[in-house]
Amino acid sequence: MGYFANIRDSVRTIFEGLAITASHLVRKPYTIQYPDRTDIRVQDALPFRYRGLLDVDLEICTGCLACERACPIDCIVIDAEKDKQTKEMILKRFDIDLAKCMYCGLCSEPCPTGSIHHTPEFEGADYSLESLIRRFVKAPVVAYKPSKGPETDPEIAPILTRGLRYLDEFATPGGADAD
Amino acid sequence: MQQLADRLLNEGFLQGLPTPVGYVLVVAFFAFVLLNFIMLVAGVTSWLERRVWARIQSRVGPNRVGPQGSIQWLADGIKNILKEDIVPLAADRILFKAAPYLAMMGFFAAFAVLPFGDGLIVADINVGILYVTAVTALVVVGILMAGWSSNNKWALLGGIRSAAQIISYEIPAALAILTIVLFTGTLSMQGIIRMQGWAPWNWFLFANPFAFVSFFIFYVSALAEGNRTPFDLPEAESELVAGAFTEYSGLRSLLFFLVEWGNLYVIGALATTLFLGGWHVPAFTESAFVLGVAQAVVFFLKSYFLVFVAMWIRATLPRVRVDQLMSLCWKYLVPISFVNMIGAALWFAIFPNGSRVASIAMVVFGLAIALYFLSRVRFHLRRAKPELTLSPIA
Amino acid sequence: MSHAIDVDIERQTPGGLETEEMTLNMGPQHPSTHGVLRFVVKADGEVMRRAIPDIGYLHRSIEKIAEKVGYHGFMPYTDRVDYVSAMQCNQGWAMACEALAGIQVPRRGEYCRVIASEFGRLASHLLSVGATGMDIGAVTPFTHAIREREYINDILEELCGARLTFNYMRIGGCAWDVPPGFVKRATAFLDRFEPLIDEYNELISFNKIYVERLANVAVIPREMAIAWNLVGPNLRGSGIRYDVRKDVPYSVYPEFEFDVPVGTGERGTLGDSYDRYMVRMRELKESCRILRQALGGIPAGPVIAKVPRNFKPPAGEVHVRVEASRGDMGWFVVSDGTAFPYRVHIRTGSYAAMAIIEELSKGLMIADLVAVIASLDIVAPEVDR
Repeated sequence: MGYFANIRDSVRTIFEGLAITASHLVRKPYTIQYPDRTDIRVQDALPFRYRGLLDVDLEICTGCLACERACPIDCIVIDAEKDKQTKEMILKRFDIDLAKCMYCGLCSEPCPTGSIHHTPEFEGADYSLESLIRRFVKAPVVAYKPSKGPETDPEIAPILTRGLRYLDEFATPGGADAD
Repeated sequence: MQQLADRLLNEGFLQGLPTPVGYVLVVAFFAFVLLNFIMLVAGVTSWLERRVWARIQSRVGPNRVGPQGSIQWLADGIKNILKEDIVPLAADRILFKAAPYLAMMGFFAAFAVLPFGDGLIVADINVGILYVTAVTALVVVGILMAGWSSNNKWALLGGIRSAAQIISYEIPAALAILTIVLFTGTLSMQGIIRMQGWAPWNWFLFANPFAFVSFFIFYVSALAEGNRTPFDLPEAESELVAGAFTEYSGLRSLLFFLVEWGNLYVIGALATTLFLGGWHVPAFTESAFVLGVAQAVVFFLKSYFLVFVAMWIRATLPRVRVDQLMSLCWKYLVPISFVNMIGAALWFAIFPNGSRVASIAMVVFGLAIALYFLSRVRFHLRRAKPELTLSPIA
Repeated sequence: MSHAIDVDIERQTPGGLETEEMTLNMGPQHPSTHGVLRFVVKADGEVMRRAIPDIGYLHRSIEKIAEKVGYHGFMPYTDRVDYVSAMQCNQGWAMACEALAGIQVPRRGEYCRVIASEFGRLASHLLSVGATGMDIGAVTPFTHAIREREYINDILEELCGARLTFNYMRIGGCAWDVPPGFVKRATAFLDRFEPLIDEYNELISFNKIYVERLANVAVIPREMAIAWNLVGPNLRGSGIRYDVRKDVPYSVYPEFEFDVPVGTGERGTLGDSYDRYMVRMRELKESCRILRQALGGIPAGPVIAKVPRNFKPPAGEVHVRVEASRGDMGWFVVSDGTAFPYRVHIRTGSYAAMAIIEELSKGLMIADLVAVIASLDIVAPEVDR
């Protein structure tokens, strides 16, 4: 490269670069000013599949322990035992340690009713580590027994619908056609 | 300022005081005023730089503290002052503490000869330009002291690089200034400005092609002297953390930042004085006061535009490596500025009073470049499709 | 952890002056953008004698964890092996398990995998070129690259629910199918993105200062690249046309038409940092080509094959190659017939690149060291796993 060719190239490329940055000066910035200057709450704008903090709808939990087995980090601890007389599953403890959870979604996949699912909530910062252990069972409850036909209980039906809709998002192995 | 001091001593409210005391008081007063001005300008420059940078980078920049974030610099300054004052254990304490003040003295002293308007200058000495060139070299001493006394190998590297850079780039800067001094015959700042006019074809920038080239040489060399990108290797963040100033915290680091941004203003003011016509405005009013204010405003705006250009360049260009920096100075800028000066001398010999035709031709040429630039900007704006909104929050 | 570092050597220069070598530490905490890497630099003023890398600051025993969590549970951990381009790591692990058990992935699943991997490659290369620019000193292209990366993150977020650690693929296919409207939005992004590659090039790639910083710096000749085990854009920057997608084809890559960009020494020597950088820029365009073809022709069908929840592949070992963003990523899995792998080893491109820096650094300047690390595209999670 000659002496003058160097000068000419420098001037030309710097000129072009300055033109590009000048054009950026008049464009709209890309920043979303969270959390107070957004049009809608960020949590409401996230896609339905978003893997935020975990939540358990205890009304439709069957106590099958599939989520506990699937979690690679063992952050889900469930105490469920079959009552000898009534033959029902009693849930005594359902703890999720959100500090350990890595939001992988492996627990929500095998759930038969969609009771454990991810929410769009992502603001979980807190001052103490203990508060991050979410205890979903306040008092021992009977686990849910899915009925043969559509669910009739009006309180449980919408929760089940939402849970099944969440499960629907996952791909069905080998079977049904997707769009 | 000399006349003002004399008047105050003889007729004004400083009567009765011995002359040296009176002088000292007046000087202290002006120094105080200038210091406030510098702090304000440096602070606002830091805020403006962050906003300009941010817009160039498609983001917003500080906009929470005060309206549009305009007192962010004040908050940063107060935070820096309140920080813990750390002096490294094995550092040379006296040099470590003195370095920021030396660097500040270097550029602060230059403000004594910067004009703000016709007659609005602290000291219109008849070697103004030479004085500025000499006194800004004190900054080198300050940086070297900072690098050495920190007892930190990275800081030492940064200090030495910086010293080599500033000293080397003094030469093309001085040669570019000499090109202008050839026409004016005087080194005094006000004298140089008085020889220009308010119209662009009366500026020295467009006087002849050699002055045009020497403006760019001067600006590039001044950027290198101020340690600004593309020449900011001494304080390259990704390599040396903060170069010579790594060990500084609190008020001392604030002073170094002040040096950097204040230096920008000095560069802008010098370039305005030499090339852009200084404070001239068309005589649109009888009142001397309004005219004075208009002149100060025009001078400030012109200097600040050059400061803005420096910020814009910093956002655009990558850093030049140290050996490339040196080769740029010694192999390109110095020979070109020598040739330039010889050419300017020849031009001056042929046209001792300047050439009107050449000035207007240069103005047209400058306008053509500006128009081409704007057309490129429009091209880039057109080519970038409008922003997508993939997420409904945006 | 680190081998013994030499003591400062005193040197005699002609003329009787004695000088010492400086030992500097470019420590794990660094304002550079490549993660926790540490170099002990022995420098003679500005010129380096050796830059000794010291790794291990991000070691998380991921390979050992695989032996505890099992085949299905290891999938989220593969994201963390290279979190800058996580989709390809997912694919590597899934392919290794499928090779062990002989599972066939349905065609739609393969297409979804390719789309996800190529978006991951776009995101990773954008980060790499942005970080290279920032290390050289141009801060603007970095934020522009991150802006485009945010768009890609939005697209992948609606595909799988996460923005960085995707956990998108499963053994046998993908966990989620393509949502409605995805193809339209992805194509809109590609339409916007391709002209921006040109703008990016004009802003920085052809900038004289940038070229001067990268051209002729850290030249890696052909033989050295092969001898030191470089892969990916580092290898292709030295002129060797080797791409796992073409040479050891996997998934449905044979169905797509794309070129493999190779360094040509256009602005300096063949195999210098500029060549490696330009190979990444050109790969951005090629990935867009693949994406358009893939998005245009996703076949119907299931996305995932039937795989038992209690996955017990037969005993054996397998080595699978994936073309990750940083090169040929090798997944070596030994199974002993139980539900937990016996041994997993991940061979990443950044590990070899880290090793070659010591060789390259002889005679470079300290300012060049950062440029070399950036041009080799080293990310700490890949080096240490």
